[in-house]
Amino acid sequence: MNDTIVSYISSLANIEFSPLFVFLIFLVAILIIVNVMALIGGLGTYAERKISADIQMRQGPNRVGPYGLLQFLADGVKMIMKEDIIPTESNKLLYTIAPVLCLSGILATFTVLPFSSGFILSDLNIGIFYLLGVSSLVGVGIFLGGYSSNSKWSMLGGMRGASQIISYEVPVTLSILAIVLIAGGLSFKTLVSGQTGFPNGWYIFHNPFTFIAFFVYFISALAEANRAPFDLPEAESELVSGYHTEYSGMRFAFFALAEYMEVFVLCGVASALFLGGYKVPFDLGGDTIIGQFLQIGSFFTKTLLLYYVVIWVRWTLPRLRVDQLMTVCWKYLTPIALFNLIGTAVWIWAFDGKSILSLILSIGASGSAGGH
Amino acid sequence: MSLISYLVISTILFICGLIVIISRKNIVAMLLGIELILNASALNFVAYGKYVSAHIDSHIMSLFIIVVAAAEAAVGLAIVIRFFQIRESIHIDNAAQLQS
Amino acid sequence: MFDQVLFYISAFLTVFGAILVVLERNLMHSCIFLLTSLMGVAGLYLTLGAEFVAATQLVVYVGGVVILMLFAVMLTGGGLEEIKKNIVSVDLAPSMGNLITYFWGALSAVVFLLVGGKILTSIYSSAVIADSPKLFIKTVEEIGTKLLTDHVLMFEMSSVLLLGALIGAAVISRPSKVNIFQKGEDDVSH
Repeated sequence: MNDTIVSYISSLANIEFSPLFVFLIFLVAILIIVNVMALIGGLGTYAERKISADIQMRQGPNRVGPYGLLQFLADGVKMIMKEDIIPTESNKLLYTIAPVLCLSGILATFTVLPFSSGFILSDLNIGIFYLLGVSSLVGVGIFLGGYSSNSKWSMLGGMRGASQIISYEVPVTLSILAIVLIAGGLSFKTLVSGQTGFPNGWYIFHNPFTFIAFFVYFISALAEANRAPFDLPEAESELVSGYHTEYSGMRFAFFALAEYMEVFVLCGVASALFLGGYKVPFDLGGDTIIGQFLQIGSFFTKTLLLYYVVIWVRWTLPRLRVDQLMTVCWKYLTPIALFNLIGTAVWIWAFDGKSILSLILSIGASGSAGGH
Repeated sequence: MSLISYLVISTILFICGLIVIISRKNIVAMLLGIELILNASALNFVAYGKYVSAHIDSHIMSLFIIVVAAAEAAVGLAIVIRFFQIRESIHIDNAAQLQS
Repeated sequence: MFDQVLFYISAFLTVFGAILVVLERNLMHSCIFLLTSLMGVAGLYLTLGAEFVAATQLVVYVGGVVILMLFAVMLTGGGLEEIKKNIVSVDLAPSMGNLITYFWGALSAVVFLLVGGKILTSIYSSAVIADSPKLFIKTVEEIGTKLLTDHVLMFEMSSVLLLGALIGAAVISRPSKVNIFQKGEDDVSH
């Protein structure tokens, strides 16, 4: 039905796997992906501290390992050893479930991330749609975390966080739909394989509407992840840490880890849809193992570049007020995203789905051929 | 995994939704029951679509059931909130008269 | 084999969630069990090969309706119910019902069994049950094509319906203009 990593390996090695073996291969692949993502989540905290230190002309962590690289491990050990405080008046079931919902929402999105053309855990028919659906669990988790802590700061943070997430899902979905129109399918393989390795084939340069759609998507993804200038629900100076005020130790670590991994997933989606994903210039390596590793490298390079931009934006721009947040979403980003969608549809109808660069080249070719 | 198992599951969902509507006195809780009932019927459509007729129209019907359920939940909850603003309670017995 | 495992897990989540929605007294907990039940139904759609419907279920219900219900519960007082005890000093749970409930319940059960029996006999006697139904390889394409050719009227009308629901919900729940000098006159009857 759909391509999974098991079908890729079985086509590579030309053997059929029994169900038990299929399960084991999936298990190993899932373990690898979850561990790498947790590592990236932890290194994300380290990267944030180092980059913010660089922007603010100071050193950042440099004690714990070489260049302070093991700082996130020290933070993790500290979190695990902290006392697990549950407020007495809190709703015990919801208090326990909220961080788990956040984290499982993000972990479930790793199924469809296109690391390379063979190493997608499962290339679902409905890949990007499934990703949008499962990442709505984060909103439920944030709201429950805010409500169940039985504290006014948390409640306000939770309400604002949930309404922010469900509001900004609209521009995200509309921008993604513009790319889906061009590519012709919802699965990630279809979306990435319509692009080429060089920037002239990327969807961001396909037509001016998708160019704008990239920036709309990027801004809305920042707001979805409660990051950057949109982090009012968890701001320290506004709401004493908002919806995770009453969480300590490992429960708080779940929220933080979910946030950093969500930023990685959203940057991964941006690089897969707009920046060519795992496509390598000249398609080096083709279908061999070396080619797969090059593709993984290409995907990670683009995603980590966007991750750097996300961290950079956080420490550069001031925070938005909550009414400015909602105004930006509903009065600016959603109309622009709708306009992009309609514009992309008109472009596909008018120019038969060709990108702007190929149009310019064809005009140039026909001009020079029919010139003299 | 035959058709009967899916029908049993949707029956259980329907009955649970019906019990929630009948026995709860809170209007928002009754809306929970309505969501369960709508889900049961949508599941029924898709189950028949796979085991009896193998048409994709069953999926489309389920999609429209989901759309209608979402619209109805939105408007129903807006009415409940307005009711709460006026009456200061959401007990269903306070909604028993046309005029107060 | 994976199909069966997914079926059993989803069926367990669905039934477990639905039963707990009935039995749980706290309204917030009921909403979370509804969420569990809806995710189980999405898993059941996957075992039936309806991927697009499963994803739509996730997006619309989990990301929309459940959050809406949670907001509504919170904005209307938090769902606190007074605990009354009945004659035998047992806590009255909402799901215990009263006499009227049992009467209507019995009537519904009789009707239900009659209808159910009729359906089951018709299945067993005459319908063609496809035992290895064809898998839709590209469900999304097929649904998209059907939506815009055969069912285009329903498609367009559902967009009008959603527009109406959007505007209606926004207008209905807007608070009435309260004049602070006439606070006592804020209407109760309209």
